[in-house]
Amino acid sequence: MQFRVDRQLGFLATVNIAVLVGGGVLVGASFLDIYNLQSMASQVPELGLLALGVMLAMMSGNGGIDLSGIALANLSGVFAYIVVRDHVSADDTPLLFSWAFAGVALLVGLAGGMLNGLLVARAGLTPIIATLGTQLFFTGLAVALTNGSAVSLGYVEPLDNFGNTPMLGVPQCFALFLAVALVLGVVLRFSPFGLRLRLLGSNAKAARFAGIPEKRILFLTYTACGVLASVAGIVIAARSSSVKWDYGSSYVLIAILIAVMAGVRPEGGYGRVICVVLSATALQMLSSLFNFMDISNFFRDLAWGVLLLAFLAQSQFDPRAWFKALRR
Amino acid sequence: MTIIRKFAACAVALGALGTATAVIAEEKPTIVTVVKVTGENWFTRMEEGVVAYGKDNAGVVTSQIGPAKADAAQQARLIEDLVAKKVSAIAVVPMDASALEGVLKRAAQRGIKVITHEADSMKNTMVDIEAFDNKVFGARFNEKIAECMGKSGKWTSFVGSLGSLTHVQWADGGAENAQKYPEMELVSEKNESFNDANKAYEKAREILRKYPDIKGFQGGSAVDVIGIGRAVEEAGLQDKTCVFGIGLPKDTGSYLESGAVDGISFWDPKDAGFVMNKVADMVLKGEEIKDGMDLGVPGYEKVSVKKGAGEGVILVGQAWVDVNKSNYSQYPF
Repeated sequence: MQFRVDRQLGFLATVNIAVLVGGGVLVGASFLDIYNLQSMASQVPELGLLALGVMLAMMSGNGGIDLSGIALANLSGVFAYIVVRDHVSADDTPLLFSWAFAGVALLVGLAGGMLNGLLVARAGLTPIIATLGTQLFFTGLAVALTNGSAVSLGYVEPLDNFGNTPMLGVPQCFALFLAVALVLGVVLRFSPFGLRLRLLGSNAKAARFAGIPEKRILFLTYTACGVLASVAGIVIAARSSSVKWDYGSSYVLIAILIAVMAGVRPEGGYGRVICVVLSATALQMLSSLFNFMDISNFFRDLAWGVLLLAFLAQSQFDPRAWFKALRR
Repeated sequence: MTIIRKFAACAVALGALGTATAVIAEEKPTIVTVVKVTGENWFTRMEEGVVAYGKDNAGVVTSQIGPAKADAAQQARLIEDLVAKKVSAIAVVPMDASALEGVLKRAAQRGIKVITHEADSMKNTMVDIEAFDNKVFGARFNEKIAECMGKSGKWTSFVGSLGSLTHVQWADGGAENAQKYPEMELVSEKNESFNDANKAYEKAREILRKYPDIKGFQGGSAVDVIGIGRAVEEAGLQDKTCVFGIGLPKDTGSYLESGAVDGISFWDPKDAGFVMNKVADMVLKGEEIKDGMDLGVPGYEKVSVKKGAGEGVILVGQAWVDVNKSNYSQYPF
């Protein structure tokens, strides 16, 4: 098992570099200065973490998907704040507050992910229906807890630093995202769980006869999705200093877009973490570039569509096979 | 083969970006107005004001952007990129004020001037612009309802949601004014329509069933009067009820014609856009924002300035526009 540079990875890396170079040429130095690089990097984690969750769900096969990601992220933030503010003072012990906030948020993510896992693995519901249901449930809970209005966290120094201040030049939330991605990548590649997940995704029936505990794998997968969503929730809370039920309502589809662009197979069985990371950064840089160039946001939606189709086309199109077919 | 393909892809990507737009290097100060969402009538009208200010003042470059979907996260990302780009001033109509505090603070740290509109609770703004005092606006609605219903009878109020601060202020302002008239009775106040004309319609029907003798309705969100108007029309009570509220002439036109809605008020987003840019320009030039000054736009001739939630100030105009059946067609939005 060594590090492979396959076509998808090569293509994504090329796109990343092309956008950076293109930005430098079209916008000038301001696109490549350290402030903008940091600004773009710190915008990646929210969507990147959700996309990693989508990737996991997709890999498990059987139409796997997690639509409840952003709803659970928001619920984690809302619930954690409401619980923690009554017990820990953000003004007197900001560090304790931040850790308690993160801890409770992770627990909510764990619980929400387990709920998804139970519905999909134990009750055997179709993932798209199950997670649509939990999405509404999580959103509804968050609305009920806040009466629908935003809750401001105020200025909590450690949390604010985590969201906005770079350490050694790297935004802390981006570093966390990379760390999470690394752990996930190692688990998927080297652990028995990763192997089983891929086998289950590529052929559920064969996996079942091979004695792979299908239900447990699915349960663990959706639980991990939930935890990833709650990490996204912590990042959102840190970066916007507030929590609200409808933050990022457009994220569901963008997260799926990132995962599909990264070559994750919607039918299951295949997905690479590094590709998701590169896909997320490519999308962010392109999005920022459009903003720098004052390009309409409607054009951006169109560009995403074109990009997605291009990625799908390039993954299906194998020139060698095509030439062989011609010669025959 | 793959190498060639990669280079080809590279070239295509660069080419696509290159043809998309040519970027002009600008030395003049740039003021960017960020709205809640692009493509809505309200903000299309606002853009007219933003563009007009840029045309009148060759010294600055003005433009308006907004996300394609109304999502606070998308709006925050847009501003994030503007901060990195280092424009001179940002004028924002926040989707959700508290979600933008962080990014606007960073904007100020980079020396970018920040102006907001409809966000009087915002801390990280230099000037927040309000078209009018919300309590007074609510009281004006009530005054019209009172006059129309002969200062006696049952009336009710609608809000987009209890979380929408301005809507609640309008409803409260109305209720406060109604206390002048002891014959008027407020029933089941602050019905939530969730900014949905259909929900407003259903709520209004419920109320008409519960209080068949109700005479007055005060709308909160811009679509409330549409829903109320439909319910009133279906019940055939056009002449027996008084419906006033915030609304847009184009959307409400047919109900104004039929008399189901008696009058609407609004503020002209074009003027708001113009004033936001004017104030941004003044702040850029270092001019003082003074109480009682004249911004040269109807409704903003004598603005009042008070202290805001943070370091900044809140600038309040009297920029309401009242229309009824006779003059709504003058407003093309």
